[in-house]
Amino acid sequence: MLLATHENVLTIVQAKFSCTEIVKALHLNASIKQKTWIDENRILALVEHELTYALFIIISEKLKPESISDLTIERAIPIDQHFFCDTDLIPETYSHIVFNIAYKNIKLHFTIEIGFESSNFASEVIRSKEVSVDNDKDFKWLDKYTVGIASITLLDTDMSDQSPDLPIARQKIAQGYEKSANRESLLRYQLSLKEPEYTHQQEFSIFVGTWNVNGQPPTISLKNWLSVDDEPPDVYAIGFQELDLSKEAFLMFDTPREAEWRKAIMDAIHPDTKYRSVAYVRLVGMQLEVLVNNSHYKHVKNVAIDTVGTGILGKMGNKGGVAVRLELHNTSLCFVNAHLAAGVEEVDRRNQDYNDINQRANFRRHPYTIREHDQVYWLGDLNYRITEQTAFQVKKHLANDDLSSVLLADQLNQQKDLSKVLQDYTEGDITFQPTYKFDLNTDIYDTSEKARAPAWTDRILWRGKGIHQIAYRSHMDLKISDHKPVSGLFKSEISVIDQNKYRKVHEELLKKMDKLENEFLPQVTVDQTEVTFDLVKFREPQYKDIIIANTGQVLAEFEFIKKLDDVSYCKDWLSITPFSGCIRPGEKCDLRLTVNLEQPLETIYDILVLHLIGGKDMFITVSGECQRSCFTTSIATLSRAPVPLLQLTPDQFKHAENQQSPVLYSVPRELWLLIDYLYRNGLKTRELFETSALHEEVIRIRDWLDLGSMDPIPGSIYAVAEALLLFLSYTRDPIIPYHLHDTCIAAASNYQNCKQIIMQKMLDLDRNVFLYLVMFLQELLKCSNENGTDAKTLATIFGDILLRDPVRNSRPQANRGKASFIYHFLINDQSPLIMPSGLQKYEQNDGRINCWAYSIIGQKNNCDDNLRKYWEYPDAEDPFALSEDFLKDGNFKPDNDGNQSSKDTQSSEN
Amino acid sequence: MANRTPAAQRPNGSTQGKICQFKLVLLGESAVGKSSLVLRFVKGQFHEYQESTIGAAFLTQTVCLDDTTVKFEIWDTAGQERYHSLAPMYYRGAQAAIVVYDITNQDTFGRAKTWVKELQRQANPNIVIALAGNKHDLMNKRMVEYEEAQAYAEENGLLFMETSAKTAMNVNDIFLAIAKKLPKNEQTAGPGGSGQGRRLVEGDTGAKTAGNCCK
Repeated sequence: MLLATHENVLTIVQAKFSCTEIVKALHLNASIKQKTWIDENRILALVEHELTYALFIIISEKLKPESISDLTIERAIPIDQHFFCDTDLIPETYSHIVFNIAYKNIKLHFTIEIGFESSNFASEVIRSKEVSVDNDKDFKWLDKYTVGIASITLLDTDMSDQSPDLPIARQKIAQGYEKSANRESLLRYQLSLKEPEYTHQQEFSIFVGTWNVNGQPPTISLKNWLSVDDEPPDVYAIGFQELDLSKEAFLMFDTPREAEWRKAIMDAIHPDTKYRSVAYVRLVGMQLEVLVNNSHYKHVKNVAIDTVGTGILGKMGNKGGVAVRLELHNTSLCFVNAHLAAGVEEVDRRNQDYNDINQRANFRRHPYTIREHDQVYWLGDLNYRITEQTAFQVKKHLANDDLSSVLLADQLNQQKDLSKVLQDYTEGDITFQPTYKFDLNTDIYDTSEKARAPAWTDRILWRGKGIHQIAYRSHMDLKISDHKPVSGLFKSEISVIDQNKYRKVHEELLKKMDKLENEFLPQVTVDQTEVTFDLVKFREPQYKDIIIANTGQVLAEFEFIKKLDDVSYCKDWLSITPFSGCIRPGEKCDLRLTVNLEQPLETIYDILVLHLIGGKDMFITVSGECQRSCFTTSIATLSRAPVPLLQLTPDQFKHAENQQSPVLYSVPRELWLLIDYLYRNGLKTRELFETSALHEEVIRIRDWLDLGSMDPIPGSIYAVAEALLLFLSYTRDPIIPYHLHDTCIAAASNYQNCKQIIMQKMLDLDRNVFLYLVMFLQELLKCSNENGTDAKTLATIFGDILLRDPVRNSRPQANRGKASFIYHFLINDQSPLIMPSGLQKYEQNDGRINCWAYSIIGQKNNCDDNLRKYWEYPDAEDPFALSEDFLKDGNFKPDNDGNQSSKDTQSSEN
Repeated sequence: MANRTPAAQRPNGSTQGKICQFKLVLLGESAVGKSSLVLRFVKGQFHEYQESTIGAAFLTQTVCLDDTTVKFEIWDTAGQERYHSLAPMYYRGAQAAIVVYDITNQDTFGRAKTWVKELQRQANPNIVIALAGNKHDLMNKRMVEYEEAQAYAEENGLLFMETSAKTAMNVNDIFLAIAKKLPKNEQTAGPGGSGQGRRLVEGDTGAKTAGNCCK
């Protein structure tokens, strides 16, 4: 059955085969783990031809093939007796499994997503394996698929030939379709391929023993079981079943027998050498201990144990298995001591128990399955019985020394022949009598009422390369149980590492990998590492482009990264688009660096760090000279500037900035020009501060102010209004200093408090600007019938500007308080405030105060002209001296608050 | 997918103990031969006219010791003074540094000393610092005496070698000496930074369950 979504793909894949070759199952996106640097995707197809099956591994140009030309058959593997497949879980991952395929010496591992597709495909393959197992099938039909590609039998050599050069799909990596595989897994894989180069085989003798002790204590010596051979074995693996049949052992998992039997082992092992226990495991009555000759102890590593209960409820420990895995030199060993379901008829249960143990044993920290070990020794009371013969018949055969007749009826042999259990395990010839069931302390088979047929319940089998059984026997002298112990002695080839050769191979591999890794580092060049901007002006963006070219072999992912302690990857006057991206090999990417200056800087300078993900960093230096502007200059400096900003000599500017030169004007000239113009031309303009102006006009007004041009103001009324807002927004310091903001917002509910802050806490020059602006806004409000504005709108606009946050709009929640604060000043009469003592002081000291209120109050004269005259001739008589008329107009009435300033005003008038 | 290791693929645990990864940074005045040392060490090459490094070049190289394998992530920094303020990005989190000077130029030795001071003050306190007096092939123009540099290195607990990227003299040796001096246990890993000498391969930990001490 195939997924509907794959039907199109099925049609395409099927087209690759002849009509007698039917694609039975498909798996897309099987990621193959191989010796190369990368994981690649394959399509797996199960194809049937006249009841023979083969697995095809197909390369697809596209993730989902669109035509037959997208497909290339990489391998065809016949599914016959040499074919094996299984699946493994990936530790810590629940989304994917590994689908392992083995054929003779070929081993392939595919990572596939868990789901219907994978389970369906795996089960189809397993089913096809089951039908193919028995008879020799003809796979000639595969020949046409293996011509031109490596033939199946050659595949193995083919793989090892390739490995030295680590073939790599450069193009795919370059295009970002493939990612480099994990370096460590690649290294380990490479090392395993080269294992013959640095190892040699050495024979180790392994003694494997199993005994069902029927819950008896060790009242006898085990020497006749464990020390019957002349030579001491290198390794002992000793398993017991039914160590303790008591309820306590079953429920409490604790038994005194454990220590007793372990001691019995230690007392009975071969006396000619010393042993150390490397692992010990027990689950209820099943116990397994592995000992090694002291001299081998340091070559044992990665020891792990696991237990699988398959008893009551399918998981209790009365039946099941315990296992020890370890690595001896470079060979992995696994010993499994199993006690399978009892009862003559329970064959299927026993098979099931076997499967459960295989599936569930995983050794946690060393997540191998049992089958993944180089050598597996499976021992235990497997409980397979003699069927088809009565106890009487069996005993009769045994009495005649006719073991073979009985062995024909042995369930284990039968089930193994059917591939139902212990498939591909080997067992030595049984030359000993059945080991079950004896009357206790006798050699007499069961004489009880049940009179069970004797059976070889206690068995030892093995799986893996280089294992030779020397002896397989029972030990009739040990009579305390209803079973007799069994032992197997093996000469097993253990792969021993030659350290010098290993180091050489390892080092060579590492060098190769270093070379590759460095070769595959992303590489780019930039066309310039110094970007110099032309004269940078306030709010007049400028850009420069740089080109990044990918000169490496892999996809280059770049990003600008922030320097230590910086908050951003570039200064706030700069923006970079794009600031991150991907470039394919041989391709380029344009980056645009845009400067937009809003800060009072003389120069701009920044070093950008262009980082390649997984690679180097490059530095790009950005610099430029800035033109100063009244918009970013402090009120204090502007008030001291004798001429427009750009006409100042460096010395003049420095003196003004350092507040060394005298204050010449109570409000900056630039501010006066803007407000005066608005006062005379914009009082009746609707939405004066809410209409955005042309950017170029604002820039022209900036230049007009900075240069002190004689031309009429170059912009619409809205541009002037916007220029005013910009002026107030970008002054070096906010009109109301930062440190007073919280006080202002806290005082916002009370006008008197607000007034006190302004009058007592602010610097004179800032206060002048503040009051001057407020007076103008009041004039604006007087014309609200025509211009439609209202105090709340203005308070909101100007609150945000006059009390601007250090980082713009960082405290939006404070906006209401700021507006309220300003609002007081818009709706209350400010005239008592506008003759503060500070102003008089300038008048006295300097003698040329300009009357900043003058223009507001409505002089119809051409103020601009007068002012200009004044600017050009700084020594000329003050054109804005307070006139009697002006005072009579009555705007400077003392208020009834009786505060200091009104008194001062009065006294100065007198 | 790339980082997944299927269980089936694992070979039988090599005797290889562990791979430790360390970040190593090269510092020193411009044109003393930092990039040349790295190029010689990593690729076995030498270019008479090595381009000036504007940024921080990155390469990796593995060094095999008796029981461990050390993989260096090498950051070769720009020597020009104006990039000085960026150097902490690279030496912060580094477990090793090679401070390079040119034996034919006394100023570069002075600069090397200030780099050492800066590292001692601001880098990982366990950082292994090596001092490399490069351009040994220009012996006849020597301005910095071997003894002087050696005495300074001893005072400050630095590894010291005179090297030549051109002739390859002592190039592998100085990296090897650093690899040997670097602590190989996990505790030494400082906070932050990449590849803090972390163990990449689980080698022999399993044997501990059986209470032994296999290597």
